[in-house]
Amino acid sequence: MGLKSGRIKYPFILPSMIWVLAFTIFPLIYSFGLSFFRVRLGRPATFVGLNNFARIFSDYKLGNSLRVTLMYVAVTVSIQLALGILIALLFHQEMKGKSIFRALLILPIFCTPVAVGYLGLTIFYEEGGPLNSILMSLFGWKIPWLSSPFWAWVAVLLLDIWQWTPFCFLVILAGLQSLPEEIYDAAYIDSSSEWEIFRKITFPMVQPVVVIVLLLRLIESFKIFDVIYSLTGGGPGTATEVYSLYTYRTGLKFFDFGYASALGYVLLAMVMVVVNLFFRRVRQVYE
Amino acid sequence: MKKLLFVGLSVLMVFCLSVVYAEMTLTNAGGESITFTDEELGTIITSGEKPFEGVTITITVNQGGPKGGISGPLYEWRDVWEKLTGAKLNIVEIPYAEHYPKVMTDLLTGTGQYDGFMIGSDWMGELVTGEYIVPIDQYMKDPRFPKWDPESLPPSIRTLYTWGDTWYGPLNDSDGQVLYYRKDILNNPDYRAKFKEKYGYEYNVPPKTWNELYDISEFFNGWDWNNDGEPDSGIVMHLKVGAQGMYHYASLSAPFCIMPGEEVDKYHNVYWFDPEDMKPLINSEGHVKALEFQLKLAKTGPDAQVAWSLGEAWDYFLRGKAIFTFSWGDVGSLVQDEARSKIKGKMGASILPGSLEVYDRSQGKFVTFETPNVWGNTTGGSWHGVISALSKNPEAVYHLLAFHATNKISLWNVQRGWTGVDPGAKFHFLPPYGTASLDDYVANGFNPEDAQEYLKAYYDNFFAPNIAPYLRIPGGNEYWVALDRHLSEAYTGQASAKEALDRVARDWEDITNRYGREEQLKVYQESIGYKAK
Repeated sequence: MGLKSGRIKYPFILPSMIWVLAFTIFPLIYSFGLSFFRVRLGRPATFVGLNNFARIFSDYKLGNSLRVTLMYVAVTVSIQLALGILIALLFHQEMKGKSIFRALLILPIFCTPVAVGYLGLTIFYEEGGPLNSILMSLFGWKIPWLSSPFWAWVAVLLLDIWQWTPFCFLVILAGLQSLPEEIYDAAYIDSSSEWEIFRKITFPMVQPVVVIVLLLRLIESFKIFDVIYSLTGGGPGTATEVYSLYTYRTGLKFFDFGYASALGYVLLAMVMVVVNLFFRRVRQVYE
Repeated sequence: MKKLLFVGLSVLMVFCLSVVYAEMTLTNAGGESITFTDEELGTIITSGEKPFEGVTITITVNQGGPKGGISGPLYEWRDVWEKLTGAKLNIVEIPYAEHYPKVMTDLLTGTGQYDGFMIGSDWMGELVTGEYIVPIDQYMKDPRFPKWDPESLPPSIRTLYTWGDTWYGPLNDSDGQVLYYRKDILNNPDYRAKFKEKYGYEYNVPPKTWNELYDISEFFNGWDWNNDGEPDSGIVMHLKVGAQGMYHYASLSAPFCIMPGEEVDKYHNVYWFDPEDMKPLINSEGHVKALEFQLKLAKTGPDAQVAWSLGEAWDYFLRGKAIFTFSWGDVGSLVQDEARSKIKGKMGASILPGSLEVYDRSQGKFVTFETPNVWGNTTGGSWHGVISALSKNPEAVYHLLAFHATNKISLWNVQRGWTGVDPGAKFHFLPPYGTASLDDYVANGFNPEDAQEYLKAYYDNFFAPNIAPYLRIPGGNEYWVALDRHLSEAYTGQASAKEALDRVARDWEDITNRYGREEQLKVYQESIGYKAK
């Protein structure tokens, strides 16, 4: 019986195994191989050893993409996390219409990022777009949302924060709601202040959840592509050209597959380093 | 007996004439009809045999929808073409920025998902040298196919549809940028007097040089010259990265940096690369000066234009908010659409201005001309259909493309702004330059004066003594993209003109090295007609 029930799991696992092998493992191995070749479709591939990786260090355009990506990750993730915690704390209180507000708040998560980018084109349209129309009617000035390198960057950040803060809020709220009531009862008996309770009880207890959210958002933010692709196309100039967009252009627009694969692996390495550092820190805290 | 013979001969003659001059009236999706002769339609249609019955062909085109530029005519005539040939036409719309990669992926991987493509002419180098598309010369002579007139194309446009002497696509679009201006405002005597008072000279309408245009644009920028209660602009351009912004620079810069000459040599009639060693010329002093000028000129237009693509810039001009724009033929015909335009009957058009100062690389300095150095251009895609080498039904694809290239459908397209098909062939132009009728344009909604100015401007542009060279070598798209992104850095203040163009040159060197300098040089020389001595 035990043996049979052990075997029965394989047919169920098989489809997902095939999926992972075909769409994750195979491309991973294949692109690793590609990164050692100069590949242009339609022409024979040439083995170039580590040249594609060496080229990364002399590629001046990459420096800009890296800078834009790192700034993007740092700003969006920290704001999303901070807002997520604040809103989660707010929703952890008793309030009227909480379920309606919560439902409304999480709606952006379900939008396709490309569609969010195109929505942004309308919202941030400089001549007569809704945002600038409001600003003009209230203050008599408008913001060059998409024509200024700085404001284009801000527009991209705002869209991403709008879309992904609800995710942080939702997961952290779930974490807060799983905390045991008894500890709070005891804390209130000791007449601790709200801030003290948050600092010494709530945050330390919810911290594992926050770390997971942070990790997930970090990984996702490093890969940001869709919103920027549809909203600014990396512009104006190269002001919002993030790493993934640069890699996409190299591979799928200019068909320089070897170099694009090398770029992909460098991004993978960067994300893995960041994730490992975090996990190491988490282990140190909890062991 | 004689009477009987006479009647018999008369009947025979009428029969013969009716065979020779048989006509067929076709109605498109919009309910408009065109009458064709049998010769124009070709025997595949007139025989009624439907040899393409059961065949489905798939054509890619820039995304635009049933009333969009370039895509629109395919939808407009699809039903009637399908009915006449028995074939099915599958139209695949792809956003502009994705079109080239999608086509190349299909060709390079040998997928063969598409039978034909409505391509930009700058893709030709890649497509022809890679043998990814098929020549059409054999079909052009074949009476089975619809008849179109290759002789009607000026050499400047013909070059874009051919490689050497070989044809690759039937006529469709003819792209080139001309100057559009507000004739009514520029001819206003009060404004002219005020300008003279400020600048000390009377301007020409249209301006003859870019410097004169700048003065006018600066004069009119920032105040309400059209009395709509809002400040207006001198010029409007579409400068968004990834949205064809770089084409403005290509057209504007030509007179600053191309030395005219009898033939193409190291120093004359070249713009992109040195034809002897493929070194980029894009950061030469002439190019830098042109970009510095464009940056100065852009300040006499709306700030938001650095994030505008075609539609937004065109609409700004159509709404009567700018004195100048320089763009493709679409603008001239869109001006006639009163649902979108406030300036019908007020538009002037001309070939782009020239420059009195031109950088002469052979002397390493700017030289001054007595008359402006003017260059016609074929800037843009001149979007037209080609047949994939992987297609299993090349004849059906050619039939479709030739059907759209017939004089009558081509003229129908040109007379409607939304089709994106711009004038270029002689039968689009008015006498004495061409064979089209002004009445026909007027019947199709054109203001007669607008039509005359517009068509004359395009005639002057495409038949100009000097035509700026067109870039169509392998990697053409990559060179253009590099130019586009770095120009945008300059437009948005992230780099100076010199820095931006130095970056372009650096990128172009990278691209050339990756594609192979020798191979690129050979194709480049071929594409610009350079012959080594």
